[in-house]
Amino acid sequence: MKFLLYLLLALVVVPLQTTLLHYASLFGVRPDLGLIAACLVGFLGGELDGLILGLILGCFQDMLSAGDLWINVMTKGGSGFLAGLAGRHMAHITPAVMTAGLAIISCLSSAVFLYSMNPAGLDEVWLGVRSTVLVQAGLDAAVGAGLYLVFRQRWSDDRMVTEGAL
Amino acid sequence: MAISRSTYGTRRLAIVLFACLLVALFLLPSQSQRLLQYVGGPLGQVLSLPLAAFSSVDHGLADMWNGYVALQSVHEENRQLHRDIELLKGQNNQLRESVTAVQRYEALLNFKQQSPSQTLAAQVIGRDATNWYRGMILNKGEGDGVRTEMGVITPAGVVGRVVKTNSTSSVVLLVTDPNNAIAGVVQRTRDEGIVEGTSHGRARLKYIPLLSRVQAGDRVVTSGLTGAFPRGLAIGSLIQVEKSEGDLFQSAEIEPEVDLSKLDEVLIITAPYEDADAAQKLLQAIHGDRKKP
Repeated sequence: MKFLLYLLLALVVVPLQTTLLHYASLFGVRPDLGLIAACLVGFLGGELDGLILGLILGCFQDMLSAGDLWINVMTKGGSGFLAGLAGRHMAHITPAVMTAGLAIISCLSSAVFLYSMNPAGLDEVWLGVRSTVLVQAGLDAAVGAGLYLVFRQRWSDDRMVTEGAL
Repeated sequence: MAISRSTYGTRRLAIVLFACLLVALFLLPSQSQRLLQYVGGPLGQVLSLPLAAFSSVDHGLADMWNGYVALQSVHEENRQLHRDIELLKGQNNQLRESVTAVQRYEALLNFKQQSPSQTLAAQVIGRDATNWYRGMILNKGEGDGVRTEMGVITPAGVVGRVVKTNSTSSVVLLVTDPNNAIAGVVQRTRDEGIVEGTSHGRARLKYIPLLSRVQAGDRVVTSGLTGAFPRGLAIGSLIQVEKSEGDLFQSAEIEPEVDLSKLDEVLIITAPYEDADAAQKLLQAIHGDRKKP
């Protein structure tokens, strides 16, 4: 059931990413909704959920990207898994923690992309960091924290109900 | 007693005066009218002040009635008209968009008919799913005969090449992506090179011979050496030529001919030359142009 839900989520997120998200771009860089979704689910639902959703999202994104077929699967799956591990070891997840966590994971994910682009020299690496990595990390963190604030109450309620039931 | 007598006298005097006035009105109507007008002048002026005040209040009330209470229906009508205007504006925009689309399709069709290549029209339905590749998604895929490495163009020039396909869509790597490479030739000097994308969203013509006299403003076209594109399609114009000491080749930055950020429809080259005759004609035309001074 959860797998189907994640599949549906990916079917919404990836087309949204490729079609409408350029309206939300900053300096030509769009937030990575796939990464944000995988991290949020990882943080809140655990590393397995984050990994599964990340893999599905990555697979879909790779189909609609000019890059190699493994890169999104690996980065999104890894991001979801990392977020799950981080979430498990934290007593309280606050919006600030979520923002910082998303920014770090986004930077790590972008570093893999940057490495895969085979930059010609240090100048190109810095250009990539300045023009894409940092901007995307900021956008991912902001959008992710916003979504977390929106869904936090509902998630807390669900968790309380679940814990009560247990 | 004295007071009572005085009051009685005054009343009698008043009655007598009133009777005289009546007699005068009946017996001397014109004279009495003139007298009344003379007396009524200053009285009218005094009366005009409260009259004006009441009149203004009356007008205010009337305005309030007409402007607010009685105009409820007009207000509704106005809102309806505003809704109608918005609807018509929307329809007008849609019609304008349709006209623009028809013009674009017409240009594509004209180009398709004149082009020696076999092409397939496709619509741009999305952008690359990541920020790291300059790519776009087309609505035609393997089911429509699209294969990887096919060239993508518009009537203005080269757009990129297909790098991924599935049954219903395909991904195009734009000419401005650093991972893309297309064989190009400088139209004026006929110097050949490789056009690659740059990190700044432009393209660069690499491996230009050192002795070449290329200069800013020269147009770069496809050389036809790679399979994806026929010869002579516009890639862009040189904007800056760089020649470093010790380098074996020159390179030049290119401003792409096509505005890649505003693409709606493109043509996929399914076969660079439709038939041998067309290819021959094109080659003759190119060589004819070269012989001209």
